[in-house]
Amino acid sequence: MASPPQLPPADDLYLTAHDTIRGSSLLSPATLGLGLGAALLGELMLWRRVDLVETELVVIDERPTGDAATTAVLEQLRREAGQHGVRNWLAYLSTGIATDLVERRLARIGLIKRVEKRGLFGGTKVSFVPADSMTAGWPATRIRTKVSRDEPLDVADLLLAGLILATGLDQHVLATLNARDRARLFEQFRRHFPAMLQQLVAQAEAAVGDAVMARRA
Amino acid sequence: MSSTATQPPGSQLSDALARDRLGVPAIVFFMMSAAAPLTVVAGVVPTGLAVTGLTGIAIAFLAVALVLAIFSVGYVAMARHIANAGAFYAYISQGLGKPVGVGASWVALLSYNMFQVASYGGFGAIAQPLFLDWFGVDVQWWILALAAWALVAVLGVRDVAVNGKVLATLLVAEIALTVIFAIANMTMDGFTPSADALDPGTLVGAGSGALLVMAVTGFVGFEQSVVFSEESRDPRRTVPRATYVAIALIAVTYAFASWAMISAAGDNVVQRAGEEGPELFFNLAAVQLGDTALHMGHILFLTSLIAASISFHNIIARYMFSLGREGVLPRAFGRTVPGTGAPKNGSLAQSAVGLVVIVLFAVMGWDPLVELFFWGGSGGGLGVLLLVTLTSFAVIGYFARNKVGEDVLHRVIAPVVSSVILLVMSYLAVDNIAKLLGVEPGSTPAIVVPSAFAVLFVAGVIWALYLRSARPQTYSGIGLGARSATTGGGGFSAALNENTEYNR
Repeated sequence: MASPPQLPPADDLYLTAHDTIRGSSLLSPATLGLGLGAALLGELMLWRRVDLVETELVVIDERPTGDAATTAVLEQLRREAGQHGVRNWLAYLSTGIATDLVERRLARIGLIKRVEKRGLFGGTKVSFVPADSMTAGWPATRIRTKVSRDEPLDVADLLLAGLILATGLDQHVLATLNARDRARLFEQFRRHFPAMLQQLVAQAEAAVGDAVMARRA
Repeated sequence: MSSTATQPPGSQLSDALARDRLGVPAIVFFMMSAAAPLTVVAGVVPTGLAVTGLTGIAIAFLAVALVLAIFSVGYVAMARHIANAGAFYAYISQGLGKPVGVGASWVALLSYNMFQVASYGGFGAIAQPLFLDWFGVDVQWWILALAAWALVAVLGVRDVAVNGKVLATLLVAEIALTVIFAIANMTMDGFTPSADALDPGTLVGAGSGALLVMAVTGFVGFEQSVVFSEESRDPRRTVPRATYVAIALIAVTYAFASWAMISAAGDNVVQRAGEEGPELFFNLAAVQLGDTALHMGHILFLTSLIAASISFHNIIARYMFSLGREGVLPRAFGRTVPGTGAPKNGSLAQSAVGLVVIVLFAVMGWDPLVELFFWGGSGGGLGVLLLVTLTSFAVIGYFARNKVGEDVLHRVIAPVVSSVILLVMSYLAVDNIAKLLGVEPGSTPAIVVPSAFAVLFVAGVIWALYLRSARPQTYSGIGLGARSATTGGGGFSAALNENTEYNR
């Protein structure tokens, strides 16, 4: 069976952060939001639309990306350019905006399904479950396999792996890596992961820690 | 009400973030849940009266409030400029150097742990007679303490935030009840307004250091306001206001209630405090208010102790998280449970400490009320006083090098005034340690408590100096907290920085 295709990093992160069958999140909403927010910003950097200069996000190309989620973020970045640092953008995207954008994108290509449940007190609760548990588990498996075979990860997968570490998801999905595999992965971060994306992931990780200290996580 | 004046209008980002921001009341409630009014008024004050024989506690609360308010001027000002503002050691690292900061962080861990175990001892000792009264069963204090411990341990590791509304309701009930009971004390037959409790002379007389530490103990938790610097509606106004409001509220409540209690008990207050212990406050009021009020008071007393335990537990777990992220403690402490964000390992470590102490006291047959609750609480109070003093000097040091954005009152005048007063207070406190603990000068507890702080402080300094030469990358991030993107990270920044750690 052919491997499922590689998705944009935010989609892969979303699938990795959810139970492959029930669809429940392995992360708290705040942490998930920070991870997905950083992933969308990272995608915009991969699209060469945005640069991270020190702690500021700078729009270098205003053209839409052809993808609704990143284009929506790009549009906002353009409108409020230079007013807020990357940490504020991450905080903003983590309020549910990033999660919402990514859920829509995944639902559109049919990888997750919308499920409505009647609440106990009336009203309906909307949640998403993966359409196919194999596909949903694939991104984490791909990272693990490549790392243990000592194959290089591409930049998108390094972004995914970095955000897995930053959000603490590694305790779930990279726990089986041994010390040598970890060292190899870390070596790849240092050698092949662009500095700008390193900074972005580090900022996301710091924001996750910040949320813990302020009892928001 | 919400102020977003610092951002241009019409910004979707600012509007969205502003909705989640905290106002003054939310922060005040949070601070006061650690301060636990009934625990202090009914627990610390009568026990302190009995142990030290000093009656000037009401004026001591007011005096300490004034000093802490002056201290807070510089403290909240510095909080606006640094990261990880919730932790004393962050200030001290950046104001007095990283080695001093690490030493202070270890002292802080000991102090907060002392409060934590003190609250277990208090819970056990106070619940024991109540259980006998309510259910007719005589349960050992340590069994009750272990029950409280188990509750806190489970809530802590799962990081179940006790519902804010529940906490606020309990707190309001506690304060209301404290005030009502204090008023009831005033209507007692034997009530004669006590001049001793308000005599400023006691603040300079013999044993003044002991009184001041007892008063400081009542305020612990006030330093947590700055945790919310970045979450508050207006960092320049909300946090300072919340801090001053909480200090004033605590001071007035404590001073009034302890004055009323001392006045009502009359001349033999010290003797009665010795005989009745934490019941003194309730016994006096029960004469007027009857049994229902008494039971209410007892229930709230126990919930107050539990609330204090939970809040100290969370403070400790997060302190360890922050130190773990910085690499000062093992990195494992910088991990959280992904699904809840609970700082799991710090929480487990704290629970282990609590368990060991409770079991030790049970096995040795030591007194839970005086030797655990009061010694732990006042020992922790001494530690916090020393930390506040160091932090006050750190504020001067920080603003001497970074003159940005604050006027001379915030940068120089207030910090210098508070530093001088706090230094004198710290000297008196250490000098009076035997009086505070109610033991002979030179006896074991009077030596162990201050030397424990000294030893940990020196060990922390040495550890920092070791980090400077062995792990410069870690050293450079000390005091910058989990917020520091380049050094203070979890797995990812460790991956970027500390290749040696994993390659072995």
